[in-house]
Amino acid sequence: MHFGACVVGSEGFDASPGYDSLHSFHRMVLLKISLVEPGTVGPCPVAPDALQGIKRQQTNPARWKGAGWQAFVSALDAAGMELVEGAAACGVYATDAGGTAYGLPHGVVVARSAGQIASLLKAAQTHRVPVTVRGGGLTTEGESVAFGGVLLDMSGMSRVLHIDAKALTVRVEGGIFWHSLAEELRREDLDYLSAPLNLTSSVGGTLGVGGIDVNSARLGCSADQAIALQVVTPTGEIVECSDSQNQELFQRVILGYGQFGVITEATLRVRPYTPLSMHYFYYSSLATAIEDLQMLDRNDASDYSGILTIMDCAVNLLVAFDSDEREAAFKANWESRLRGYGEFGFALCMLGHYALRPWKLTEALYLLQRKREVFPEFRRAEYMRQGKMHDRTVVFSRAVWKHWGSRQMVIPDLATSADKFVAAVERGNAVCRKYFPRYTLYCVGIKLRPEHQAHYEMSCVPPDATGWAYGCEFEPIIDGEVYSRDHFQAFKNAIYDIGVDMGASYYRFGGMMKGYIRRVFGDALVDKHLALKRKADPAMILNRDVIF
Amino acid sequence: MFGLFEQPAASRQDHSACSGCSLCVLVCPMWRARRDPRFSPEGLAKALQCGATVAELAAPLDACSLCGACDPVCPERIDLSGMVMALRGALPRAAELDSQLTNLARQAASAAAPVAGALLLPGADLRANPALLARTQMLLGYGLAQDDGADIALALETGAQVSPTRRRRFLDRVEGRTLIVGDGLLLAALRRWLHGVRLQSLGEALSSQVAIRRRLTSADFYVIETRAYHAEFERLVTYYDRLRLETGCALNLDLQRIAIPAMTQAMSRRREMLADEDLREARWMLKGRQPRRIVVESLADRAVFEKSCDVPVLHLAELAED
Repeated sequence: MHFGACVVGSEGFDASPGYDSLHSFHRMVLLKISLVEPGTVGPCPVAPDALQGIKRQQTNPARWKGAGWQAFVSALDAAGMELVEGAAACGVYATDAGGTAYGLPHGVVVARSAGQIASLLKAAQTHRVPVTVRGGGLTTEGESVAFGGVLLDMSGMSRVLHIDAKALTVRVEGGIFWHSLAEELRREDLDYLSAPLNLTSSVGGTLGVGGIDVNSARLGCSADQAIALQVVTPTGEIVECSDSQNQELFQRVILGYGQFGVITEATLRVRPYTPLSMHYFYYSSLATAIEDLQMLDRNDASDYSGILTIMDCAVNLLVAFDSDEREAAFKANWESRLRGYGEFGFALCMLGHYALRPWKLTEALYLLQRKREVFPEFRRAEYMRQGKMHDRTVVFSRAVWKHWGSRQMVIPDLATSADKFVAAVERGNAVCRKYFPRYTLYCVGIKLRPEHQAHYEMSCVPPDATGWAYGCEFEPIIDGEVYSRDHFQAFKNAIYDIGVDMGASYYRFGGMMKGYIRRVFGDALVDKHLALKRKADPAMILNRDVIF
Repeated sequence: MFGLFEQPAASRQDHSACSGCSLCVLVCPMWRARRDPRFSPEGLAKALQCGATVAELAAPLDACSLCGACDPVCPERIDLSGMVMALRGALPRAAELDSQLTNLARQAASAAAPVAGALLLPGADLRANPALLARTQMLLGYGLAQDDGADIALALETGAQVSPTRRRRFLDRVEGRTLIVGDGLLLAALRRWLHGVRLQSLGEALSSQVAIRRRLTSADFYVIETRAYHAEFERLVTYYDRLRLETGCALNLDLQRIAIPAMTQAMSRRREMLADEDLREARWMLKGRQPRRIVVESLADRAVFEKSCDVPVLHLAELAED
């Protein structure tokens, strides 16, 4: 046996049939292999029963075999379109931010114009070549990984086209990173409304899935900020759409997981730029923190709100404001109703807690270490002016990549109506505890717009949510540990099973998790969308295997 | 991101650690000009992971200006500038460049030993402007090193080998002194090679002078030299933040506090005419701003701004009163 090669659930574990379970347990302890719940990967991942009980809903799709590729390449060549092949061009797309799905395209086209994309999709329909569209590549379930076919890199279309400072709108190309947009808007003292707390998310990719920010409880998801889109349909038509023009296409493309077209341009709402006044409250109970979060959202008591857990007993509620007036109103009316502590009060609480539980010293040290590492990130001098935080996305994104980022990122989530949220998060938290020693939960509310109900169909917004939907991401801290794909998949499945059980939805239900689509949305809705997809994309070439 | 903050340089990793977060793409002038991921540090690292040969990467390797913006933003602490420099070493070099290196090495060999005390190593651009060099030297009050390591700086940039004898001779001459270094790449290398030596970039040294600092105003757009800044980002981000607060001048920093370079071409191509991408980059820096004066730390940046706007462009050393 090669001890060095043994990891949790690793295929490298050299087990012989009939090994005794006590011996196996000792080996697990020696190798720091964590115990997992019954029914998932056992101590020996190559044992005959190793896969029993793993509801592996979906794995990487099979690689497209390449039939018709050369004829397709010739067609693009004749149209004067640059398609690049080989490791130097394709290697950058080998995986996504999740780092568990790996695949290579046959070739890559860097997006340059809607006309070019239209030609590409027409040729792809004719030759039945799959086209995978990639923005920032920040998917986690392989949705932006091409398993053969052509990869369309939208970062080639990443410019701001027009800023209307009076109307507070901006027209951008679909591949622009939110951060690049923020850079341009700041020169006009403007900012976007809401976007993922990640610098390299693309606008087009985000509008296709949702986009959650810590101000989503007030402003809705990023997809709600889109006023109009230019879309190239799967058959290559260039269409302008909005709630008043080509409405049906607009409804399907927004939150449509890239199934009904490529977003080449978008008009978005923007707002004047403001720095933030941040407040942090600390809880030892997740349920209490969530109740307080929802109380703030219901009463429009803050401009930004979200929960980030460090450990089960250390939960941080973040509350922030765009203006002094809003902050003053919060202090006068709502702050005293929060049951969380300030930093000093919570430190005393924890001191008392661990003084009575000396056997939990390791846990206390971890908490202390995390505080020492993470907290200063949110208070760096160059981002703070007169007690206010500037460029919040840079600050948050930097902290996310530094303290939560990893070569593998597994972030299953649950999205529920407000009343189911506490129970869903507590059940999800219990699953995390079984699978990983350290993990973080990120909870945020999403204000729903009744007029956008049609956009929300078969999306991360749960069908029974009214007023607000709530989302929770469950992110293990991998931190150099090595886990097998089966371990990750079993973990994700256990979280998603809660969603099925509770009638919730998910943000990440595509790619490797698409086996849950029928279970959570039901056959009638899925078949309706499948019929629409077949009609819009006869050869089923656009973002194949992301949803359909 | 910004894993560099608390990590010693020795812990930096190679291309195999790239996880594809694209944070380096956001700050890369080479990518901004082309919007093609092959022309980015991430594109290079990922291509290498997938077995690309150095020859296949020749175009982006040649296009990189080694501004160093990618280094401080990499969450995996990959030495991305170092990766480019090392890969360049495996590419065939133009005969003209070899002869340039030979000439510089010959000049260094015949240089007199430096005077005692603190030294100014001006670098090729400043040395090519004797009047400004004299003014800089007068302002700083430092001795001038005749051998300022110009051949070593060019070798670092082009991936050429520096003989251990030559390197040792150079380091022996400067070891133990306070050094002001005009070339950002050489400064970063000296930080790795010398310990316990006080090293400063020319920009930091000049902008620390009271006579210069008090002349900076809120009407100025101050252009930080990118290589030196990014090589010691963690300390200098605070230094320049203070400079901005004290003087009110605007800086060529983006929202991540990464310095946007004006000159985006590799040094080996700088003798050529300014490229459109350089002018675009300068215009991007000035977009939404209306400075009455531009102050540059690097002479290479001055040419770009002189061509792309119609306000006075001054080198930092020209700012002090006569």
